[in-house]
Amino acid sequence: MSATLKPYLTAVRHTLTAAMCLDNFSSQVVERHNKPEVEVRSSKELLLTPVVISRNEKEKVLIEASVNSVRISIAVKQADEIEKILCKKFMRFMMRRAENFIVLRRKPIEGYDISFLITNFHTEQMYKHKLVDFVIHFMEEIDKEISEMKLAVNARARIVSEEFLKRF
Amino acid sequence: MILLEINNRVVEETLTVKIKNAQAGLKNESIDVKVADFDGVLYRISNLNGDKSKIRISIALKFYKQLQEHGADELLKKEYGSYLIAPETGYNVSCLLDLENIPSNWPDIVKKIGLLKRNCFASVFEKYFDFQEAGEEGHKRAVIHYRSDETLYVEAKSDRVTVVFSTRFRDEDDVIIGKVFMQELKEGLRASHTAPPVLFSHREPPLELQDTDAKVDNNVGYVTFVLFPRHTAKNTRDNTINLIHMFRHYLHYHIKCSKAYIHSRMRAKTSEFLKVLNRARPENKSTDKKTISGRAFIRRD
Amino acid sequence: MDKLPPCVIDVGTGYTKLGFAGNKEPQFIIPSAIAIKETAKIGEQTTRRLGKGVEDLDFFIGDEAFDATGYAVKYPVRHGLVEDWDLMERFLEQCIFKYLRAEPEDHYFLLTEPPLNTPENREYTAEIMFESFNVPGLYIAVQAVLALAASWTSRSHEDRTLTGIVIDSGDGVTHVIPVAEGYVIGSCIKHIPIAGRNITYFIQSLLREREIGIPPEQSLETAKAIKEKYCYICPDIAKEFAKYDSDPAKWMKKFDGVNSVTKQNFSVDIGYERFLGPEIFFHPEFSNPDFNIPLSQIVDDVIQNCPIDVRRPLYNNIVLSGGSTMFKDFGRRLQRDIKKTVDARLKQSEDLGGGRLKPKPIDVQVVSHHMQRYAVWFGGSMWGSTPEFYPMCHTKEAYEEYGPSICRHNPVFGTMT
Repeated sequence: MSATLKPYLTAVRHTLTAAMCLDNFSSQVVERHNKPEVEVRSSKELLLTPVVISRNEKEKVLIEASVNSVRISIAVKQADEIEKILCKKFMRFMMRRAENFIVLRRKPIEGYDISFLITNFHTEQMYKHKLVDFVIHFMEEIDKEISEMKLAVNARARIVSEEFLKRF
Repeated sequence: MILLEINNRVVEETLTVKIKNAQAGLKNESIDVKVADFDGVLYRISNLNGDKSKIRISIALKFYKQLQEHGADELLKKEYGSYLIAPETGYNVSCLLDLENIPSNWPDIVKKIGLLKRNCFASVFEKYFDFQEAGEEGHKRAVIHYRSDETLYVEAKSDRVTVVFSTRFRDEDDVIIGKVFMQELKEGLRASHTAPPVLFSHREPPLELQDTDAKVDNNVGYVTFVLFPRHTAKNTRDNTINLIHMFRHYLHYHIKCSKAYIHSRMRAKTSEFLKVLNRARPENKSTDKKTISGRAFIRRD
Repeated sequence: MDKLPPCVIDVGTGYTKLGFAGNKEPQFIIPSAIAIKETAKIGEQTTRRLGKGVEDLDFFIGDEAFDATGYAVKYPVRHGLVEDWDLMERFLEQCIFKYLRAEPEDHYFLLTEPPLNTPENREYTAEIMFESFNVPGLYIAVQAVLALAASWTSRSHEDRTLTGIVIDSGDGVTHVIPVAEGYVIGSCIKHIPIAGRNITYFIQSLLREREIGIPPEQSLETAKAIKEKYCYICPDIAKEFAKYDSDPAKWMKKFDGVNSVTKQNFSVDIGYERFLGPEIFFHPEFSNPDFNIPLSQIVDDVIQNCPIDVRRPLYNNIVLSGGSTMFKDFGRRLQRDIKKTVDARLKQSEDLGGGRLKPKPIDVQVVSHHMQRYAVWFGGSMWGSTPEFYPMCHTKEAYEEYGPSICRHNPVFGTMT
C-alpha cells in the first residue's frame, strides 16, 4: 500500500463512521412519506455540510450526510485512456446490477464515477461497521482491479500480435 | 481459437454432406442455401437450372470489380479450371459440382471451394508480389474497398511490398482497445525475426497515403505491413496471403474477445463485492432444524 | 449497400441451431456444450476461470467439445435458461466467428428465449451482444411464438394467426405452451416429463429383454436409431398387436448394426417397439409409473385453463415443434384424442341442458408441417428475412441511448405477408 493510500482510507473510514449516524425521519412535506433527505433536499436544516476527502486531483470521495441518509460518491483513479474506459465499463456494469447491491445508486453524482446511498433502513438492517468496511474494501479493490484489467488487456494484445507475427 | 480459419465451414460441410449422400446412393434433394462470410461476402449454393444433381456454388463480393483489375479472373481460372462456369446473375464467380460425376479427389475440391473467398483476395497480392519479384516499380497502387468504409492499399517497390489497411471502429471504446493492440503489433517484431515490420497510425493516414482520399477520422486506424522478399517468395507467399487477408478480422475478433474477457472479470469482481456487502447483513439465526427426512426438528426442553 | 442476411441463433438446452435468415434449414446443429480447461486453484469458480493471457480462448464448442481431451465439458444452458453467462459469451464468440463466419458488426441478430425468461436475462443478453460484439441490431423472440410462425408454411394466408398451442417436444422435456396473439399465457404452461430420451430408454429396455446380439455399450445408440427410423404412432394398440401377429413378415423390421469394437455385424429384430415406443406420449404409465396423464389430456387441460375467449382459436391451432413430434401420424392421433375429449364434454353439456341447447361444435386441428424438426429456428429464419424485421429490432444506437432495459420488451411481430 502506497504511503498516501492508508491515511486516505483512514480518513474516509472515520468520516463515514461518523456520518452513519442516521435516524428514521418522516418527510416534512408529504404526509406518511419517508424519503432520503440527502436526495430530496426538502429542507436545509436536515442536511449536513458535505465533506470532500481527496488523495489527489483525480481520486476523491464526497460524503454528503443528512438526517436519515448519507450519500457517498467516489472518483476512481484513471491514469490513461484505457483505464478510463475500463472504469467507465465497470461502473456501468455494476450500476446495472444495482438491485443486488442495495446501497448502490443507479447514477453517480456529477463529477464522480460511482455513488452509494445508505439510508437509515439500511443501517437498521445491517451492521454499520460492516457497511463502512464494504465501502473501504470497494475503494481498495477497484483501483487494483482496474489496473489488473489494464495489464491483462495489454498482455492479451501482446500475445495476440506475437501469435500473428510468428506465423509469417 | 486464436487464429481465425480461412476456409468457409458452411460451404464445406454442405458440399460434403451432398457428395456423401450422392455416393451412398440417396436421392439428390434440391438445395438453396445462402450464407455470408467476412467482408460482406455472400455465398449461394443452389441447383443449376433445377437439376438436382448439379450443384452451383456462387460467390458475390462487393469489390470484385476492383479485384478483377488485378487479375482475379486469371487466378481463379488457374485454381478452379474446369469447375468454373459462367457466373450466376447477381454473383461474381460460380463453380459447378456434378453429383453424377464425382471426382475421386473430391475432398480437395470441396476444400478449394471453401477457400473461394481467399483465392479471390489472393489475386491482388499475387500480382504485386510478382511486380516486386520482377523489380518493377512505378505501378499504380492497388486500392480495394473491401468493406463499405474500409480500404486496402497495396503497393510494390523493388525491395518490398507495402500493404496498408484502413479499419473503422464502430464503438468509441474499441478505438482505445484497438490502439493497444496495434501498439503491440508494432512492437511485435521483437517476438519474431521473420515477421514483417508493422506501423500504425490512428486518425491520420500514413505518409504514403497522404495525397489520396484516405479518410481522417477519430475512429479510423491505419495499419501498414512492410513485406520483404522473404515474405513474397513463391514458397512463402501463400502463407503470407492467408495471414494478411484475414488481418482485419483477426484484429476485430480479438478486440471483441478482450471485451468478453473484461466482462468475465467484471462478473467475477461484482460477485465478490456482493459477497462483502452481504457480510454486513446479520445472519438470521434460524433455529428450526430439519431432520434428514425433511421434518422440522423441535427441541422440547 | 444491401444488407447481409441476419444471423439466427436458437440456443436450446440440448442443441444449438444456428444459421442465416432466409434459409430453410439451420446451417449448423451443434450440442450446446462448451469444453474448457479448468484449473484446480482455490477460490471462487468465476475468479478461478479467468486464467492468464489468452487462456480464455482455449475452448471448444459443439461436437468438438466432446472430442477434446483434458477439457471439462459444460452446458451453459439449463432448462432453456442461460445459467453461466461467462461461458455463454464465449460460446457465442465461437458460434459467430468460427461457425457462421460473420462479422457481428455487419449482421442483425435474432436470438431466441424460452417462455418465462426473465427480463434480466434479456438485459444480460443485450449487454453481451451490443457491448462485446457491437451488433447493429438485436431481436429476442420467444421460441413458442416462432414455432407458431413456422406453421404458417402449411396454411393459407388468412389462417396466419399468432394464437395457438405449441407442443414442443425435444430430447429432455415436452412443453405445452398456449400463445394468444403473440403473447405467451405464462400461467397455463405445462411441462411433461416424457420426451425423446424417454422413448429411447423405453425402446432400449424392450430390446434388452429380447435381443441379445446388441453390444451393451451400443444399446442406447441402437435404440435411438431404431426410434428415428422405424417408429410411428398407431391408432389403436390392441389392433396393432393383432396386425403384427397375423402377418409378422409385413410388419417386423430388421436393423443391422456394426459392433464398434469387434467390427462384426449384428442384427436386431424390431417388432412391437415400432409403435410402442412413441405410444408413451399417450400412455405414459408404460414407462413412467409416477405419471399417467396422456398428452392429449394435458393439452385439453391447458386450453381449459386459458381465458374462455381464446379457447376456440386454441383448439383450432395446435402446432407441433421439435424432433420428438416427428413420428408418423403423431398429429392425427393427437387430433383424434383431443376431439374425443372435447366432443364428450359438449355432449355432456347438451345432456345437462336437457337437449334444449345445442352447443356449436369445436373444431380441433393439429397442424403438422415439414419444418417441424427445426420449427423454432425456421420461424426465426422466416421472420428474419422479411423487411419488417429490421424496424422491430433494437438498435445499437437505441441501446447506447437508453441502456439494456430496452431489450426487456420485444414487440410482437405483426402479420407477415
